[in-house]
Amino acid sequence: MTESPVKSVPEVASPPVVVARGLTKVYDTGGSQVHALAGVDVEFHRGAFTAIMGPSGSGKSTLMHCLAGLDVPTSGTVHLGRTRITGLRDAELTLLRRDRIGFIFQSFNLLPMLTAEQNILLPSQIARRRVDKQRFDHIIDVVGLRDRLSHLPAKLSGGQQQRVAVARALLNAPEVVYADEPTGNLDSRSGTEVLRFLRDSARSLNQTIVMVTHDPVAASYADRVVFLRDGRLVDEVCDPTAELVSTRLLKLEEA
Amino acid sequence: MLRTTLAGLRLHKSRYVTTVLAILLGVMFVSGTMVFADTLNAGYEKSVMGSATSVDAIAVPEAPDPQDGEPTEPVPFTEEQLERIRELPEVDAADGTVRGQAVLLDAEGRAFGFMPPAALSLGEPNRFSAEEGSLPSTGEEIALATSTADQTGFAVGDTVTVLDREENEREFTVTGLVEFGVDPSYAFGGAVVFDPDTAEEMTGLSVYSEIDVLAAEGSTDEEAAKAVASVLGSQAKVRTGEEFGLDMAESAGGDTEMMRTALMLFALIAMFVAGIVIYNTFAILIAQRQRELALLRCVGAKRGQVFRSVLVESSVVGLVASVLGVLAGVGVGTAGAAFGGPLLGMGESVSVVVTPPAVVTGLVVGTVVTVFSALVPATRATRVAPLAALRTSATASGLEKGTGWIRVVLGVLSFAVSAVMVGLTRMSGPSQTGPIVVTAAALIAFVGVVVLGPLLVRGIVRVVGVPLRKVGVPSMLAVDNSTRSPRRAATAMIALTVGATLITGYSVVSASLESTLTKQLDEQFPMDYQISPQFAMDDPAAGGQDPADAEELPAEDAEGSEVSGEDTEEPANAPGEDGSQTSEEAAAEGTPVEEAPTGGGDDSPEFGTVPPEVREALEAQESLGKVIGARSTAAEFDDQRMLPVFTYTGGEIGVDITSDTAEGDLSDLGPGRVVVSKDYVDDLSVGDTLTLPIEDGGELSLEVVAVVEPMQFLMGATIDPEDFATAFPGHTEDDYLFVRASEGSEAAEVREAVYAAVDDHPTMQISSVSEVKNQFSQVMNVAFYTIAAMLGLAIIIAVFGISNTMALSVLERTRESALLRALGLGKGQLRRMLSVEAVLLCLIGAGIGIVLGVVFGWAAGASVLPGMVFSVPFGQIAVFVALSVVAGLLAAVLPARRAASTSITGALAGE
Repeated sequence: MTESPVKSVPEVASPPVVVARGLTKVYDTGGSQVHALAGVDVEFHRGAFTAIMGPSGSGKSTLMHCLAGLDVPTSGTVHLGRTRITGLRDAELTLLRRDRIGFIFQSFNLLPMLTAEQNILLPSQIARRRVDKQRFDHIIDVVGLRDRLSHLPAKLSGGQQQRVAVARALLNAPEVVYADEPTGNLDSRSGTEVLRFLRDSARSLNQTIVMVTHDPVAASYADRVVFLRDGRLVDEVCDPTAELVSTRLLKLEEA
Repeated sequence: MLRTTLAGLRLHKSRYVTTVLAILLGVMFVSGTMVFADTLNAGYEKSVMGSATSVDAIAVPEAPDPQDGEPTEPVPFTEEQLERIRELPEVDAADGTVRGQAVLLDAEGRAFGFMPPAALSLGEPNRFSAEEGSLPSTGEEIALATSTADQTGFAVGDTVTVLDREENEREFTVTGLVEFGVDPSYAFGGAVVFDPDTAEEMTGLSVYSEIDVLAAEGSTDEEAAKAVASVLGSQAKVRTGEEFGLDMAESAGGDTEMMRTALMLFALIAMFVAGIVIYNTFAILIAQRQRELALLRCVGAKRGQVFRSVLVESSVVGLVASVLGVLAGVGVGTAGAAFGGPLLGMGESVSVVVTPPAVVTGLVVGTVVTVFSALVPATRATRVAPLAALRTSATASGLEKGTGWIRVVLGVLSFAVSAVMVGLTRMSGPSQTGPIVVTAAALIAFVGVVVLGPLLVRGIVRVVGVPLRKVGVPSMLAVDNSTRSPRRAATAMIALTVGATLITGYSVVSASLESTLTKQLDEQFPMDYQISPQFAMDDPAAGGQDPADAEELPAEDAEGSEVSGEDTEEPANAPGEDGSQTSEEAAAEGTPVEEAPTGGGDDSPEFGTVPPEVREALEAQESLGKVIGARSTAAEFDDQRMLPVFTYTGGEIGVDITSDTAEGDLSDLGPGRVVVSKDYVDDLSVGDTLTLPIEDGGELSLEVVAVVEPMQFLMGATIDPEDFATAFPGHTEDDYLFVRASEGSEAAEVREAVYAAVDDHPTMQISSVSEVKNQFSQVMNVAFYTIAAMLGLAIIIAVFGISNTMALSVLERTRESALLRALGLGKGQLRRMLSVEAVLLCLIGAGIGIVLGVVFGWAAGASVLPGMVFSVPFGQIAVFVALSVVAGLLAAVLPARRAASTSITGALAGE
């Protein structure tokens, strides 16, 4: 595994939290091999809110799954802090996810039989971790869920559900939060709420967030956008605007 | 449409595995029972036919039509009749069977059997032949029935001792064994075979109770039978060997039919449980396939088509499972007949009999139950709106809404009705209708459980969940999961409740019966040994007519006890066993005693008495404290009502022998006074006068001093020995002796003393009360384990149902499981979560069943047993609870493995 020189990223001085090197992922689908990832080198810095973009089939979800230890890459390495997570066994990966990573998914983020509060506290309970009451209160207030805590997910709107998921992901101050199309199922107003909240928490809580999206508007909330096509990192933009992202994306799809 | 259905079936076949297993097991039970019973029947038939058809005609005496309601006795054939048969041109050879009874001593020198075995001669020709060795040909030889040889341990070549009519011992050498098969005359009491002269000598009979005939050359069996019939007249039943065999096989088949019915009952319970499982499976599948069905409706399928597609699906599943079940049933039935046949007296091995009904019944029952159980889910499927196809996963987010108040009202109402019914049986006291009412009440309560099931599940989980939640996240999640679809959980659980209720109920009844008997024995009858004469010994002085009567009766009686309690001599009756057993039983069933079996009081059959020397010998033993003699007779009133009259010598009523009294004091009994029992005399109370008809035709007026509750040790009328001697001077000997050890003597010492005292009287039957108790609890245990094993299948099916529910839920919650895994729940924890959920379901199902079982077991027991000592078999229940935990763990194994091995990313991506 050759260490390729780390690209210098301007305006972000803090050390990288997540580093991926030479990631490939090959799927066997009925004889023919599909290269979902064809050698990706990427890193994410502390406190940065990064969006991964690309047309469908570009491998962005696969990249996120490999980075998060949900999926095992065919080759290449992923480090979270000092831990090399590629090559860890399932039990170790489970602990890693539990203790050091937060997740927000597009839909079906919450367990239907648990209340909002129980959902938020679930990872801590699984880890038998003491919950920082102050942080809990702070996050609840920021996401504005105080009066919804005892509701079951079915009684919450889509936006509220996603905010519960965000609160859950942030509660333990994980080293990195992965968000997979967190606004995909939301109307634009709720989406904006969630995105703004994600951006604010990256800044105020110094939270590293990696978000997969195909929505240029959503991507424009990030500090940095990386573009993926055919399993390769092809472009990146810092301090993006929706227009900028759209044009880059269009260019990608045309090319 | 059919193609879509079948394609769907193929796609989802793994979801049907456990359903198929559930149906398969049920059908296996049904078909297996039939194959087993048919094969057994064929075995009986073959052995009976084999012996019966070895002769051409068989004549047995037949009782003439009853006159004036008086039953008549069949008259055996005479030597002269036999001679006339031999002279018939249609007859080649004929010989008669002399049949009486003889006391056979076992290896320890005690009389063998509860009653003496049949003693007979087998002439030439005869339908029986020696299976091993040869028939006796001299006065020193004997052959034994194979059953008797098995029970006594004697084999060919051994020397055995038989008592002759004067009770002198005579030794014989066993030359052969005869297999009498299922012939009722020999099957229960056993038999010894002598050569004809010795048989007459030993039994004192020179008449024949059967004549076997070989037809002459040129005559058919029918002609021979007809000719014989014309000689013997109306007092004989003459059949060809084949007819005789068929009749015999039919009556033997009666037992098989009873067994078939009993097994079928359990098979039906299993099928019922399978039905519940099938219903739940289809209900869940329909719920999960809502979108699929809605899509069908969107593209133009009519409601009827959707309905039919579900029904077709269920028929295919049902039919496939039933075919497999029938195949398994044939296997099980074969194994059952191979292993169980010899135990049930099926002499010869026959090849498996698979009748078309066995196959068809299995197929039909399996398929019909499946389709029927799928009806409600199918109807539900038709209500899926086409629009549901457009909605996002309805099953995943849709938590079932609360149970309606109608449900609550209905449920509570059924519990109330059930409680009232049980209350009524308590108020009305023990009666025959009691158990029926209790059964009905239990069914109604069960309906209540079904109706309130979802609510019960939620309520119980809420309570049990409190500590469980604290254990860890897996159990916390399991608690929440188990109440997500309470209806589904309730149905899965109720399948288990059925079996749990039945087993617990039975175990409670059985334990209560045992403790009640023990208590009654201990309190009312503090005795250690009972000495009684062997049942139904011929009166040596009796003439030619009596033997038939003395021989028919015990055969019948033995048959009765065979059915109810195998070979334990009716332990429940043992302490009170006496001459009027039949009337006692009639009374226990609530009918007034009308008639002794053979007519008027004095003619009642002689059951023998205990010789006074035995009593003297016993009283002389130091280690024996008390010897009490019981004498009994029956007093016949003018209206033909019979009242058993008892007296006890050597013991004090109310001290040595007691009973629960309704009123009065037992110790007040003395000359001129009487204690009556409620079940015989219900119109008298303390202070009244009982006028007893006595032996010389006069009357004896007695003052009632105490009334005893029904079914106690003291029954009928108990009077003072002095009055008894005056009233019934013919009864001067004891029917029974009760012996109590003296204080501080060793059990072995006491036993030795008792046996020493009766050494010269081998026909005396000794039963130890503790042995009776042991035998009784053994019988109860065997019955319990048999019934538990039979119900075990229903429980296994229910566990399949729970496993299936779990598996389907796991499928439905694939994304959820993936989410939990993504959030850091380990594989082990995920598995534990599902295990806890399944165990919770099993425990709730078993718990409700145990509660119902205990309540209704108590109610059923108390409705028949007066003064029942309610006892809960905690040990058995604990085992049952432990088993349900194991069952839950097993039920979760496969679903949990599947859930844990699903890839997280795949599950998150896939909808």
